[in-house]
Amino acid sequence: MAPGNSSPLESFVRELDALLEAARQSFGSASSLQQVEEARVAFLGAKSGRFKAAQKQLGQIPADAKPTAGQHLNRVKNEIQAAFDAAKARFATESFRGEADPTFDRTLPGTTSRLGRLHPITQTINELMDIMGRLGFSPAYGPEVEDERHNFEALNIPADHPARDPLDNFYLSVASKRDGETRLLRSQTSTVQIRVMENRQPPIRVISLGRVYRPDTADPTHYPMFHQMEGLMVDEHVNLATLKTVLQLFATNYLGASVPVRIRPSFFPFTEPSVEADYFWNGKWTEFGGAGIIDPNVFKAVGYDTERYTGFAFGLGVERLCMIRHGIIDIRNLYTNDVRFLRQF
Amino acid sequence: MDISWNWLREYVDPGANPDSVVEQLTMSGLNHESTTAVGNDWCIDLEVTSNRPDCLGHLGIAREVAVLTDRPLRMPSVDLSRDDDREIEKYCQVTVEASHLCRRYTARLVRGVRVGPSPQWLAQRLKTIGIEPINNIVDISNYVMMECGQPLHTFDFAKLRGNRIVVREPKQGEQMVAINHQTYTFEPGMCVIADAERPVAIGGVMGGAETEISPSTRDVLIEAAWFVPGSIRGTARQLNLHSDSSFRFERGVDIEAVPWAGARCAQLIVELAGGELVPGQIDVKFGFPERHPIEFRFAGITRNLGIEIPRDIVVKILRGLGVEVLDHDRQRCRCLAPSWRRDLTREIDLVEEVGRIYGYDKVPDNVAVPMTSSYKPQGIRVLEKVRDVVRAAGFDEAMSPSLIPEAWSSACSPWTDRQPLVSQQPMLGVLEKGSQNLGPVQYLRRTLMASLLEAKRINEYRANDEIDLFEIAHVYLPQEQGLPLEPLMLGIVSGRSYVDVKGVIENVCREIDPAISLDFSPTDLMIFDQSHSATISADGKVVGYVGAISPGGKKTFGLRQPTTAAELDLTALSQRAVLIRRFSPLSEFPAVTRDLNFIVAEEVLWKQLEATVRVSSGALLESIQYRETFRDPNRDGPGKKRVLLSLTLRSRESTLSGAQVDDVCRSVIEACQSQVGASLVS
Repeated sequence: MAPGNSSPLESFVRELDALLEAARQSFGSASSLQQVEEARVAFLGAKSGRFKAAQKQLGQIPADAKPTAGQHLNRVKNEIQAAFDAAKARFATESFRGEADPTFDRTLPGTTSRLGRLHPITQTINELMDIMGRLGFSPAYGPEVEDERHNFEALNIPADHPARDPLDNFYLSVASKRDGETRLLRSQTSTVQIRVMENRQPPIRVISLGRVYRPDTADPTHYPMFHQMEGLMVDEHVNLATLKTVLQLFATNYLGASVPVRIRPSFFPFTEPSVEADYFWNGKWTEFGGAGIIDPNVFKAVGYDTERYTGFAFGLGVERLCMIRHGIIDIRNLYTNDVRFLRQF
Repeated sequence: MDISWNWLREYVDPGANPDSVVEQLTMSGLNHESTTAVGNDWCIDLEVTSNRPDCLGHLGIAREVAVLTDRPLRMPSVDLSRDDDREIEKYCQVTVEASHLCRRYTARLVRGVRVGPSPQWLAQRLKTIGIEPINNIVDISNYVMMECGQPLHTFDFAKLRGNRIVVREPKQGEQMVAINHQTYTFEPGMCVIADAERPVAIGGVMGGAETEISPSTRDVLIEAAWFVPGSIRGTARQLNLHSDSSFRFERGVDIEAVPWAGARCAQLIVELAGGELVPGQIDVKFGFPERHPIEFRFAGITRNLGIEIPRDIVVKILRGLGVEVLDHDRQRCRCLAPSWRRDLTREIDLVEEVGRIYGYDKVPDNVAVPMTSSYKPQGIRVLEKVRDVVRAAGFDEAMSPSLIPEAWSSACSPWTDRQPLVSQQPMLGVLEKGSQNLGPVQYLRRTLMASLLEAKRINEYRANDEIDLFEIAHVYLPQEQGLPLEPLMLGIVSGRSYVDVKGVIENVCREIDPAISLDFSPTDLMIFDQSHSATISADGKVVGYVGAISPGGKKTFGLRQPTTAAELDLTALSQRAVLIRRFSPLSEFPAVTRDLNFIVAEEVLWKQLEATVRVSSGALLESIQYRETFRDPNRDGPGKKRVLLSLTLRSRESTLSGAQVDDVCRSVIEACQSQVGASLVS
């Protein structure tokens, strides 16, 4: 047999190999599930697929070569099928998840609705109320414009006391005295003590929280308006040890650790003994606020039996607690209402 | 109160190191402020509370140290034995006319002194505590004041006309040049120390220049007196003249020890400046309060302090403080407080004394406190809800002073026509750049909106973004009688539109009361734009205001950007609060929504259209949604607008059929046609 005149088997095998090569090419280069399907129809289609056509040529192979040709045909069919399966698998994810969008930037900022912030003083007050609530103290309120009885007299601050000096208080002007009564913006929340005790009998456990006013010129550490929390507990068997215990529980709660509290003598007209409470924080003693056992004169002013009841009161400056906690160094920032400041808390 | 460590040790010996003593003083009531080295001495600054004038001298502090450290107190010895001698009356006279201002006046005379510099030790002690030495006579009077707390004054006797002292109220327009070379004019009610002709000292505050000690002074008149604290306070304030002397008289010096101080001063002058003491003193005195024995039950200690203190220690502490224990048994003792402790009049005062010396560190901080439940008042629960809503709407919480300038106060007062309350003192330093020329900040605000508009101005000036602020605070509404009303307000200011802010207001109100029905009617408040503003009421009661700020209002408050403000009366709204909501059964069938596009006259308000739709749609109605308003004069003619709304219907019994929905729509359209003249866009 002369070269170039190949046998029918050889030419059959050669055609099959070419077909396999073409099929691999098509399935491999398909860039969508659609193209894979088109290639499947072209190569493996039951009616007019190219493999089907090649299969028909098997009849022209001499009988002795038929087994060899049949084996080859089967191997090629399996391999085309494998190429199709592989191509289909490549696009299975895409069909499930949708096509990829290379132009999408997944790091663009999210759409939010802006959340407002509560004032740091409100946050501090809420926390103080919460802690004192757990210790059994309920909130009580009183007016900010007060009469002298509640701001001074009932608190054992007599008329000639320096604390009543017109320059040290926001007294209302004469024109504002419609009924001749002297009024002022309260200088302390202790006024609420009196209002509570005038209306209720012991046992009493309340806190009053709110604005108080003293005519200091505003500077980094002073403001003519600030907030106080006043605690009041009246019952039988209330004494300095009860006070110290409550202050200790409060400090432990507020500062979140075992913080020592100490009390040392001080002077306030409405308490006797009067003490100043300090807590040990960041390596030093820091003033907490004033406190003491309610002066019997205060009980007399509200008609309590001084032989039966004793009580304690304490007052804390909310601004100071707030500023220490948040690291605020100028009290005026609290009342300028710059939104950049308010959004920090 | 500055004290010299070396000086203190003349009276008590607490050891060489001030640190432990200072700690003990702090823990017993004299708070340590600072210790500063001055030469070979320490200047120790102690805070003395206003009830302890006895500690405004080294002796008083030495007494505290002595009782705290259990060491003896060494008092300087002073000879008072010749005080009754009347020799001095040959030389001078004292008349006290103003006994309501001066309750005791003593005078002593030293003749033939040599004025010169003080000895080193005395000058040094004064320097340690910050007093500049002047000459031996003046220095000695200062020294005795800083020793025992009694202020003294020394006159050049030769310059006292008529050889007399008259203590009186001032004559009309009387003036005097004081030793600080300032001229002061006396006001009625002040205490003048005069000679026969003219004032020579402002009693208890400062001496006069003309009679002060000079190098040529030979004879010295020593004044030791007791002035009424309130009068000294008033004088010092009125003249704006505060001295070591006035500071002490304001707090009350020991009236019984006045002669001791005068004698001590005279004794030191003779010792250090020579001269001769004229025997006797002039002592003009009026009745001063007697000291009464105090009944002290030992049980009072445990009752108030929560600790037991042994009786012998109690008695020892009291005696150490100068309290005379007249008698005592197992339960009680009778005590007489010392003359320098006028603050001790009751059992509880003695309890405090014993407690503070014994040590509050011995009071336990872990006793059992009975458990009790607390409650959160409704007002606070409402506030928590309100803050949640406003915060979720993107508003930041502001806080501003309760006092405002007149310009803001008069610019807006929605809640009252009464004049605002005014404080005598203004708030100082609370206005920001751009508002500082507005005049005194002394008007009690009747609305929060003015303060919030100012806050917006500041933020605009600083080019801050998204200025949406709220504040919750009281306003002050004057009444004919009694205290003002102080309703709690929610104030809002924003760069958003009227409808945006109205939406927030509606959400707040519905959070408080989900069934609330709000009415928005025109308001004549000048601060608001004529159209984009409303008075808000609920059940006929005004509960708030909302509006875009008018051009004039923006000018008043220096605003450049569009601004909307609102205010809600939370006190009024709280009264209708529904804090616990009730379940209402759900239909399990789907809803159907239909859009209706009506053409109506411009005058027809949404609230009229909405009410007509609501009533006419019947029981199947779930909700009505406003979509938009559109105007097309070419198609609809002038004075008309198109209002698109959506109707959501749902049945409790079944899935709605098309025919059921059509029936509802038909009756709505008919009702709108007949009641508000609406026609459906075809």
